[in-house]
Amino acid sequence: MKYLFQNLLKTIPVLLLITLIVFLLVRVTGDPVSLMLPETATEEERESLREALGFNEPLPVQYFTYLGDLVRGDFGDSFRYNTDAMALVLERLPATFELAFASMIVAILISVPLGILSAVKRNSFFDLFITGGAVLGKAMPSFWLGIMLILFLAVNVQIFPVSGRDGFQHLILPALTLGTGIAAEMTRLIRSSMLEILGQDFIRTARSKGLKEGIVVNKHAFRNALIPVVTIMALQTSTLIGGTLITETVFAWPGLGQLLVQAVNLRDMSVVQAATFLIAIFVIMSNLIADLMYRMLDPRIKYD
Amino acid sequence: MKKKLSALFLILTLLVAGCSDGEKEGAKGDKPVESSESKTLVIANGTDLSSFDIHNHNTTSTEAVHVNMFNYLVKNGGEEGFLPDLAESWENVDEKTWSFKLKEGVKFHNGEELTADDVKFTLERVAKDDTLLEHGSYKQIQEVVVKGDYEFDIVTENSEPALLNRLSRIGSGILPKDYIESEGWEVFMEAPIGSGPYKFKEWKKDDRLTLEAYADYFGEPAKWEEVVFRSIPEDSTRVSELLTGGVDIAVNIPPTDLERIDATDGVSIMKSPTQRVMMLVARTGGEGPTADPLVREAIDLAIDKQAIVDSLLEGAGKVTRTRVTPGNVGANEDLFGKTLYDPEKAKELLAQAGYADGLELSLSSPNGRYLKDKETAELMAAMLQEVGIKVNLEFLEWSSFNAKYQEKGFGDLFFIGYGNSMFDASLALDRLKKDKAVGETDYDNPETEVLLQTAESNMNLEERNEQYKQAQELIAEDRPQIYLYQLESIYGVNDRVSFEPRLDEMFYVDNITLK
Repeated sequence: MKYLFQNLLKTIPVLLLITLIVFLLVRVTGDPVSLMLPETATEEERESLREALGFNEPLPVQYFTYLGDLVRGDFGDSFRYNTDAMALVLERLPATFELAFASMIVAILISVPLGILSAVKRNSFFDLFITGGAVLGKAMPSFWLGIMLILFLAVNVQIFPVSGRDGFQHLILPALTLGTGIAAEMTRLIRSSMLEILGQDFIRTARSKGLKEGIVVNKHAFRNALIPVVTIMALQTSTLIGGTLITETVFAWPGLGQLLVQAVNLRDMSVVQAATFLIAIFVIMSNLIADLMYRMLDPRIKYD
Repeated sequence: MKKKLSALFLILTLLVAGCSDGEKEGAKGDKPVESSESKTLVIANGTDLSSFDIHNHNTTSTEAVHVNMFNYLVKNGGEEGFLPDLAESWENVDEKTWSFKLKEGVKFHNGEELTADDVKFTLERVAKDDTLLEHGSYKQIQEVVVKGDYEFDIVTENSEPALLNRLSRIGSGILPKDYIESEGWEVFMEAPIGSGPYKFKEWKKDDRLTLEAYADYFGEPAKWEEVVFRSIPEDSTRVSELLTGGVDIAVNIPPTDLERIDATDGVSIMKSPTQRVMMLVARTGGEGPTADPLVREAIDLAIDKQAIVDSLLEGAGKVTRTRVTPGNVGANEDLFGKTLYDPEKAKELLAQAGYADGLELSLSSPNGRYLKDKETAELMAAMLQEVGIKVNLEFLEWSSFNAKYQEKGFGDLFFIGYGNSMFDASLALDRLKKDKAVGETDYDNPETEVLLQTAESNMNLEERNEQYKQAQELIAEDRPQIYLYQLESIYGVNDRVSFEPRLDEMFYVDNITLK
């Protein structure tokens, strides 16, 4: 409990630092006022809009006003939608969670059997094929894979819908796109973790007791190999969120990723700040959960 | 275990084989798109609608949706002149007063009647609130005087010959005063109501907006049961949706996909001119080489605009020597569709200007803002190099470009595309007026200045047109802006619908019909 509390306390300076970095970054990369007004706008019109949005204050004043509002849960309004930024972000979460969850399932369905097969058949043709495929899977940029999947499975062989979010069918291609990269990483991890376990004494003992190979692999080896895998899965949150930025744009999936990409393009500061703040909390929390899970799964690791 | 693994391997192999079969079939390409009789029209835009606050956005794609939900007082019919929409008749009473009479029996989507009070509420809001993005285009309106339920006057600050142009563009829809005042703006944004042929049904942000037919519409009954505006940011995804029949119309088709769409049965390409004219803006003042008119003329003559349109844009553009293109008040059609290209003469002009050994210029260009902007800038630099002008290219991402543009921080030349939502020469040439040109083009020709200043407030429309036409002649010779081409928009259209794209890029969905 003390460990958890200490770690939660540590997240506060991290979050503060993130708010500062994001706050500065969105302000040094372009003036939203000049993007919002037409080319014919006069300097006075731009100035009055700047004033209305509070951009004419010095940066430190703007930052502390922002922090003050943030403590009260006010992230400001989106320039693009003229509505509460955090509400917009929260509205998109279900779509992104749905995609992230489906991608994780795809990743597990691909990586667990392939990882085990690859380890059990070490150095065989299967192993080479799978490890080669994993390198390829990791190397394929997700926007390319997404567009290719659309071309083959939605345009030429019209099995799946092209884009949008309208039921289970629409989920498959984006989940495959996002899941493939994670599956590639997990396959390699499961393989190496399995190889390490398979070489240990207790496996030899199990085999010498005359246990069937299936039981040795599934019950003894795989369960133990799963410890690092489960924790790595929790650490994949940031990869997943990063992946959604591209995948959601390619598939016109109305989630947090697409919202963030559009907000960055239009310098919709409040939305960028609200979204990155929430993402930062997710990443920090999932790292904390991974840490706790690791300790639960392996009782040898003690709390400090 | 072995059996299980073999079974798994078999399944995976089958899956892979399944996909690769698809590839082979896919290689045949051009699978015909099926047509349907569905009374739902689906249009794919590249971006989502920004807001239902008609006064607080300035994007054409958002307005293209709004025009189906809200009505203007008058519609800009281009060559047909101004057509009645909510207004039955109007009259220019004196230099600063316009009198209007509304149609009776127009009902908002909540059943309330639209009256002159709604007009006053709407126009005075945008004319007075300087934080609204459209304020700049409406601030000339001083007051709306209500004379009865259906009669009112619009009083302007100064004489305003382009008032009807202002009232038939972004932000000109009439809002329901009582609904907004009693429910508040937040409710209006969630459940907007207008008086148009289609009413709001559902908006899933960054996904789709659904409108449905409004049975009590005052005009011709709506032709579609439902209209869906989808937001599909990725070009290739939008094209794929078109090819699979997922959408009826897709905007902004990249030139590289034209052939693919052409080769597919059931879908076609439609091109339409837009209000956007691409140009090089030159510094005519200061110490730089472009201050010499001969150098500016040489730059104009060195660039083969038709070649840019044909090669890079796959024909999606039309060369021009003016920014005020046909369909706009004051357009000088003699300068449209024309271009000058004579590299030999360009070399002679440079020699005359004292640059026989060549010269060096800076050219700033946005990257990713306009169709093929980076490639066009590179091609122009290569063409200029041919006549002895070395160009130092600077590419900037749009927001950095825009910031520099607003600060007037460019060097000799910059590459930009201007639109014109007013359909009037006054807005198109505004930036060339002496006080606005300082620091950007530094353009200062007293003759042009007099023409622009008098035309702006000239209530004699014929004379005004002539003044603008003359100004364009002078500008074409002085070249503070070297006009290249008018961009065309490219739409992909499912053959089940007939669709005529518009110059203003609006989607009046009742003009789109089932074949």
